[in-house]
Amino acid sequence: MPVEVQEPAIEELTLTDKPWIVIVWNDPVNLMSYVVYVFQKLFGYSRKKATRLMRQVHEEGKAVVSDGPIEKCEADVARLHAHGLWATMEHPS
Amino acid sequence: MARWKRFRAGRDGALTVSLAEEELGLLRSLPEQLRDVFEGDEEDPARARLFPRAYLDPTAESEEAEWQALVGPSLLRERLDALQLITVTLGRAVLVGEWWQIDLTPDEVQAWLGVLNDTRLVLGTRLGVTEEERALDPGDPDAGPYALYQWLTWVQGDLVEELL
Repeated sequence: MPVEVQEPAIEELTLTDKPWIVIVWNDPVNLMSYVVYVFQKLFGYSRKKATRLMRQVHEEGKAVVSDGPIEKCEADVARLHAHGLWATMEHPS
Repeated sequence: MARWKRFRAGRDGALTVSLAEEELGLLRSLPEQLRDVFEGDEEDPARARLFPRAYLDPTAESEEAEWQALVGPSLLRERLDALQLITVTLGRAVLVGEWWQIDLTPDEVQAWLGVLNDTRLVLGTRLGVTEEERALDPGDPDAGPYALYQWLTWVQGDLVEELL
């Protein structure tokens, strides 16, 4: 039995376990302050990070707000929809 | 004298909201209207805005259907629960001086936030609002709903400021 177990290379992991991403899209109704509040509440982001993401949504039309396994992204999208944000998920290929 | 605040923070995340009589009446009319949208036609654009797709990709229909089956009922339940919760709070308003006041627990505050936002999303969708402010003639049929939309924007803004 080998004493040392070789860990798989990081590259291998990212290739096989490429995460899903959750995107929030800009809309004319949700208040900027509310979007910051929702990002902080749902994802535990700092005010600074939440504000940066909100600005990106506002100025570029969308932003990736979270990523991970499909189950996590499904849950994140559901929470964002519950808060009235327009969110979708996709798997970058 | 302290500046008047619509939402005043209390202990442990509780808030006290102050409303004029007409405002209280307006808010009391919202839950039933929202319930009609929540439980109404799925093709209604306002309802679709509240319960959007999770997958943008139109070829992901089976994933979308699976996701809707998985979370759709609980998302609807959650929204209906918020309507019930806000209705309860509006029923216990007490007149203090010239203002109707309601003490809200943190859960009730979240219900308020959700109902205010959902109502704005419905009105915003129906009115086709953009990021530009509209100047409407008082005779315009959209003038009333748009005034309500703007008032709700103001109230929700105050609430979020207090929570941030």
